[in-house]
Amino acid sequence: MSVLETQAQKVRDSAKKLLADATAQTVIGYADEGVDGLCVPVFITDVKDVGRLVWNRRSVPNLASYLIGRKGKTAIVAKPCDARAVVNLIVENQIKRDDVHIIGMDCPGMTDAAGAALHACETCQVNTSPVFDERIENAEVKPVSPEKRDAERGLDENLARFTKEMEKCILCFSCRQACYGCYCQTCFMDRGVPDWHPESPDMGAKMLYHLGRAMHLAGRCVECGACENACASGVDVRYLIREVTGFVKELYGYDTGLSLEDQPAMLTYQPDDREVGFLGGEAHG
Amino acid sequence: MADIKKETMRKLLAKLAESMTLVGPSDNGKVVEYKKTDADSVLMDDRISYKSPKEFYFPQTEKLLTFSRDEAVENTDVPPTVIFGAKPCDLEALRVMNAVFMEGRYADPFFDRHMSQNLIIGVGCLKKKPGCFCDELGLDMEFSDFCDIMLTDTGDTYKVEHLSEKGEKALAQLPETAKVTCANKRTAKKPDGDVIGLSADIEDITLFDSVNWSDLTATCQGCGMCTYICPTCHCFEFKDVSKDGCVERYRCWDSCIYPKFTLHASGHNPRASRADRYRQRVLHKYLYVKKNTGHAACTGCGRCLRSCPVGVNIKTVAKAVMEVAK
Repeated sequence: MSVLETQAQKVRDSAKKLLADATAQTVIGYADEGVDGLCVPVFITDVKDVGRLVWNRRSVPNLASYLIGRKGKTAIVAKPCDARAVVNLIVENQIKRDDVHIIGMDCPGMTDAAGAALHACETCQVNTSPVFDERIENAEVKPVSPEKRDAERGLDENLARFTKEMEKCILCFSCRQACYGCYCQTCFMDRGVPDWHPESPDMGAKMLYHLGRAMHLAGRCVECGACENACASGVDVRYLIREVTGFVKELYGYDTGLSLEDQPAMLTYQPDDREVGFLGGEAHG
Repeated sequence: MADIKKETMRKLLAKLAESMTLVGPSDNGKVVEYKKTDADSVLMDDRISYKSPKEFYFPQTEKLLTFSRDEAVENTDVPPTVIFGAKPCDLEALRVMNAVFMEGRYADPFFDRHMSQNLIIGVGCLKKKPGCFCDELGLDMEFSDFCDIMLTDTGDTYKVEHLSEKGEKALAQLPETAKVTCANKRTAKKPDGDVIGLSADIEDITLFDSVNWSDLTATCQGCGMCTYICPTCHCFEFKDVSKDGCVERYRCWDSCIYPKFTLHASGHNPRASRADRYRQRVLHKYLYVKKNTGHAACTGCGRCLRSCPVGVNIKTVAKAVMEVAK
């Protein structure tokens, strides 16, 4: 049995136990029921259905956002990035620690239908869950090389890159819906007044949306790549947020979703915080 | 039918592109999409675009008119477009769109302008792609007659059929050596009944409560991408924008999956949950459009199945609804 299949069996055994002894009312995991081998989210509430649970390198979707608003205790099959998302949802008071049972999967990284590593997985730094109730190990999981921030670019070059990516965007907002962190009841893009969204897929609207969203995710992105994976148009949605995440790490030494105790970078203020970007603050570089 | 080389087809497209905008399947570096392109770079393989070409006859945003206190001027500026490489599912979807916009009580002049200006060149599929289910709807993946010219890929050449006067005129622009004459036009296979589909006789209200919509759509993230890339989704809204002392009125795509779609000014939303909204999508596709036009608004292109980030499968949902509707 392959290491992944062993992990999958452990997931099923665990789900069976959790449901049988009523530790959890629902187990959210993956079922091999998608097109092209994609494993899709599945909600298991009955022990007789645990056979549907799988775990392989196509367990792509981030399941964390399904926890928001659920009643009763829920167990979640969590890749390390999903677990980071769960942690941040707890830190941001969206869910309660006691309401969730984290089945932390050691993760070898996910692939696309053709078997190529997903971009976010290629450079993933966290391949074991930082917080879990039980850990399902995979001895073959190896640390990967750190992701380098993009080299500083000039304004023109930045704009050229943005324009090139955004030409593909159709403003369908699937990146927002796939993002665990985009849980606002009403997104700023959907507010009527002011009219943020001119209902036209032009570059101005795209800039407003993608830059606005990137800023809202400062210090909150867990680098799961769900936005990029969700994008049917093939836009590298993640690169802007990656930049912002890099800034937060550099300025405040904060990594999102690694600890239940750390104060989130954007929810705390120290008088000696570096003030890059403030008017009159230090220049960046 | 006649054969012409793909290279000759490129020459014809280049010729047509002199006076028209050329749209065709293009590789954007990550996925295939229909977009404005040139005759040399248009893809002539069997890959299917992640989205349908509907934006070229039903644009995502389209200016309808400009008005002031005194006058209103309709926008009649529609760029003539060659749509190359539409798949039979896209063409059958266009048949549905045409029924919706043109065959009802009112004919839509904007849609009409696109339809009369556009030259549509279809290309049959060689094989089923993952997620495709046109066959389950009784459609022919190789052929549809709802276009001006239909091509069948035979490797280095296309078998060519023209299906309209417009198509015939376009083919007349081929170089002398490649002139084609088309006899024995095929006709499209008609969908043979309700393979996946609901009888138009059923009352929708009976399906509101008797189907477990919440469970069927539990994983839907509500992104609505499926409606944007769908070849038959055609819901829209109007938006007025003030400009230079006048008002410009736009028609913009909307989506039943978005909460704002049915949000009342009072704050009440009659379709409050994602399950309510997904129910609307499914019943609109398989029941309401069918009641109104006789066609189900799904041609099995499989795009929503392929692109859904969490693998929501409209086919599974439709089949579950059919079980209840029986």
